[in-house]
This record gives sequence, C-alpha cells and structure tokens, in this order.
Amino acid sequence: MKRLFGVFINGLIIENPLFVIMIGLCSSMAVTTTVANGIGMGLALTFVLVMSELIISLFRNLIPESIRMPIFLIVIAAFTTIMDLEMKAYFPVLSKSMGVFIPLVVVNCIVMGRVEAFSSKQPVLDSVFDGIGMGLGYTWVLIALSVVRELLGNGTLLGSQVMPLSFEPMIFFILPPGGFLVFALWMAASNDLRRKLLAARKPEPTQDSCCTLPENGSVEKV
Amino acid sequence: MKRWQMIKLGLILAVYTIVGCVGLAFVYNSTSKTIAQRQEADLQAGLREVFPKATGFTPNNKVKSANPKVIFSAAYTANGASGSLGIAVKVQGASYGGPTTLIVGVSSDGTITGVKILENKDTPGLGANAASKTYYVDKATKTTFAGQFTGKKLTDGFVVKKDVTAITSATITSRSITNLVQVVGKAVSDVLGIGGSSTGPSSPGLSAVLPSADTVRISSKAATSSVPGVSILETSVGTKAGTIVGATAKAKAPSYDGNVTVLVGVSTDGIITGVKVLECTDSQGSPILAPTFAQQFTGKKASTPLAIGAGVDAVSGATLSSKGVTALVKATAEALVKALAGGGL
Repeated sequence: MKRLFGVFINGLIIENPLFVIMIGLCSSMAVTTTVANGIGMGLALTFVLVMSELIISLFRNLIPESIRMPIFLIVIAAFTTIMDLEMKAYFPVLSKSMGVFIPLVVVNCIVMGRVEAFSSKQPVLDSVFDGIGMGLGYTWVLIALSVVRELLGNGTLLGSQVMPLSFEPMIFFILPPGGFLVFALWMAASNDLRRKLLAARKPEPTQDSCCTLPENGSVEKV
Repeated sequence: MKRWQMIKLGLILAVYTIVGCVGLAFVYNSTSKTIAQRQEADLQAGLREVFPKATGFTPNNKVKSANPKVIFSAAYTANGASGSLGIAVKVQGASYGGPTTLIVGVSSDGTITGVKILENKDTPGLGANAASKTYYVDKATKTTFAGQFTGKKLTDGFVVKKDVTAITSATITSRSITNLVQVVGKAVSDVLGIGGSSTGPSSPGLSAVLPSADTVRISSKAATSSVPGVSILETSVGTKAGTIVGATAKAKAPSYDGNVTVLVGVSTDGIITGVKVLECTDSQGSPILAPTFAQQFTGKKASTPLAIGAGVDAVSGATLSSKGVTALVKATAEALVKALAGGGL
C-alpha cells in the first residue's frame, strides 16, 4: 500500500510531468487560458492516461518489443477517441471550447512517455496509480496556470467576474508569452518544494519504493 | 524465418487494431444519437434566439451565398402567427483561429433580428470574446459583440470601427463576423426582394456620383470595358438642362477572393465625379465600403495612372481588396470616357 502511495505521490511533485519531466508542454500552454479548459483538459488526459496504462500493463507480456510503439498508439488513440465522443455527447460546451486539443491528446508526450517508461514494465495496480498520480500532477499544474492567467488576463474565474470592473485585464497573460512567464514562476516554486521534499526524504531508508523506480520518463522525451 | 516473424507481428498488430476498432464502434453507437440530438437542440435554440417570436422553422433552400468562402450550411424560414417573419441562416466562414459558425436572422423588413455565435475557435480572452455573454462592446447598455447587430438595417455600412464596434485586440475576428453577417444579409435580401440592401436595383446613388447632372437616366447603349474580368452592368447618362454632362456606370469585377461592385461617375471632360463601392464579397473586404475610401477618387482624371500608392491609399486590413477596387474604378472610368467621346450614349 505504501508502495502504491509512493507511486501515486510521485507524479504530483517529485516527477511532475510538466515541471520536472517537462513533456506535453504545448497543449498545457494552449488550453490554460481559462480555468474550465484547464480542468477539462487535465481530467481528459488523466482518463486517457489511466486507461491506457491499465490496458498496456495488463497486456505487457503480450506486446512484442519490436512493435510496441504502434500498439501503444492504437490503445491511446482508441481511448482518446472514446473520451472525445463522450465529451461531445455529455459536455458539449467544454468539448467546443477545447477544440482540437482533445483529439491531440493522442500525441501528448505524457501519455506515450508514461506508457513506454512505466506501465509496459510494471504491474497493473502500480500502473493505474502512476496514471492517476501523473494525471493529477498534470491537472493541478493546468489549474494553477489557468487560475493566474484567467484572473489577470480576463478578470474572471470559471467565467464569472471576480476582479472589480475597473480592473483592466492584462491581455498579456492570455497570450503565449504570459503563459510562459506564469509557467516559469510556478515551476520555480514547485521545484523548490521538490528539492526540500527530496532532502527531507533521503535519510529515511524505508522509502525504498520510490527510489527503486527506474529513471522514469526523465530520459524519455518522446 | 524472418518472413514468418514479420507476418506474425503484422497479425498481432491487426488483432490490437480490430479490438480497438470494435470498442470504438460500440462507443460511437452509444454516443452518436446524443451528439446529433445536442447539435439539433443547439441549432433550434440558436434559431429561437434570433427569432424569439417564431412558432416554427421550415427549411429554406433558396438562400445562396454569393461568396464561395462563405458557406451557408442551412437556412430556415421563420414562421410567425401571420406568415413568414424572415429567414435565419446558419453560416460558416474563416476567422482568425479557424472556421466560425453563426446563425444570422434577417427579418422581412430588412433588419438583422439577431446574431448567435455557435462556434468560434479564436484566441480565448481576445477573439473568443465574440461569443462571450459577458463581454460588452458597450458596457453602459450591456451590448455584446454579437448583440450589437440586432436591429441593424441591411442598408448600413457594416464597417468595423465605424458602425460596428470591434472587440478590443481582435479586429480580425470582428471583421470576419461582420462580413459573415453582411453576406447573409445580402443573400436574404435578394431572396426576399427587399430593396433595402445597398446594392438595390433602384441605384439611389446615381446622382450622388454625378452631382453636376440634374437628371440621370439609364442609357440604352452600355459602355464596354476591354479590361478582362470587368463587366459593366448598367450605364446611365447624366444631363443638365438637356446637355450631357457625364455618365455613370455600375461595374463588377473579381477581387481578392470575391467580387466587388462599384458605381463610377465621370464628367464629359474625363474627371471622376464620384465613386461608390456598392458591394465587396471578399472575406476581409468590408472596410472597403467605407465612404472615405471611395471619396479619394473624386476629382481625379480618368486617364491618370490610378493605383494604390499613386494617389490612392489602401484601406488598412484590406489592401488586396483596395487594389481590386482601384483597378475596377480605373477600368470603368476609362470605358465611360471612351463611350462619352464616341457619343454612343
């Protein structure tokens, strides 16, 4: 149980896909102009990630090494399309506002990276927890980015006016340069916390679980 | 042995693909009905929004887009208690971040009853404000960008930053949407036969482009232009106390990605007395309709080399359309001078 928790917590800060592994940045920059989009995209990716990791981990011994990439892609694409269709049917507004970025989850490096680096070698339960951890790690970053960007760039949060009407929205934050700036500031804060966590963790020998993990993802820049 | 290996891998891949596809087929089957219903409900809600008083909508296939870049995906006649109220058109055209889809309602008396933005992929916080219900172009009256079209007459100019308020930092989006509304207005007014459109058959501007004449009558003989692509639709001759003082012509030519129609007046001494841009179906061409652009031609000699940069300033954001109009004015004016000199009018 402790091991699974370690896997889960890993994706949140220690190996956060956006701030530490630094993959899948393009879509995170594009969709975080509003908080609703950030939450939607985060949960959508979490769904695809968990399902793909589950299936691939389940069949990991039945996937020949030489054609693993196309098989991963088939699995990921299938779940992305399922999610796309479900969103169109039940969350049409969200699906419309995120537009092309939902189908593009197929080529999101985070999914491919985790599937390749983790679930193709690890047991099912670990893979699911890794998927949830990485997915939520992605989601919280998107929310953190979009809260700042929507609040300062548009004066609203989740579409409702928060700032006084006299506040002139700083459009800079909605545009890509503002996105990069907010991203960098959050990354600095998150990685500072990460360093402290790692320093605090080192003396404890019981924490073998997370430390025996392979160099997950960090070398896998798909 | 190696070949066997390849076939085996191929088969494994095929199995995964088939399983994936079967799964997708199931999900598609279970969601496709809901998705179609949602889209239909969206459309109905949009139609109702632009024609709140309508009791029902019947498909109308008479409305045709004059611009190949602007697609009319559906058109409906709004039925009221006592006959037709007008026509609503679902229209799609290019905007800043991809295609945008609107429903535009036009009433039988030639006013826009409403504009509803169904889909817009422009930058959130900028162009996407077009579809926002809380972004006001006029904060005092709480008028949204799309809302400002409600009640607008088709005879208006539809020029962004003149009679249409633009969205801050999203001029291209503002222009694209305004242009779509205008194209729909034009098409519907043609179908309903409303003369209210600025290109109406009565050509009220004839004397405006030839102010020196006291009567302007349609000439039986038409001026012709030798410039390829330029077609002169209507030639009129202006007289003052019985003597011919000049002539006017309505001419049409292809421009950037649509057509432009202009009305040009020329006096007997070969000077352009007035120009009116009647219509421009270019996708970004609506700014060209501003009178300030057409006024530049007044007083210029038809024989001078008229061109953008040589006596004529382009309208920013519509340089190619400006070029098209200038070339057309030049060709029409020359044709009129020739016709006046030949006494053929």
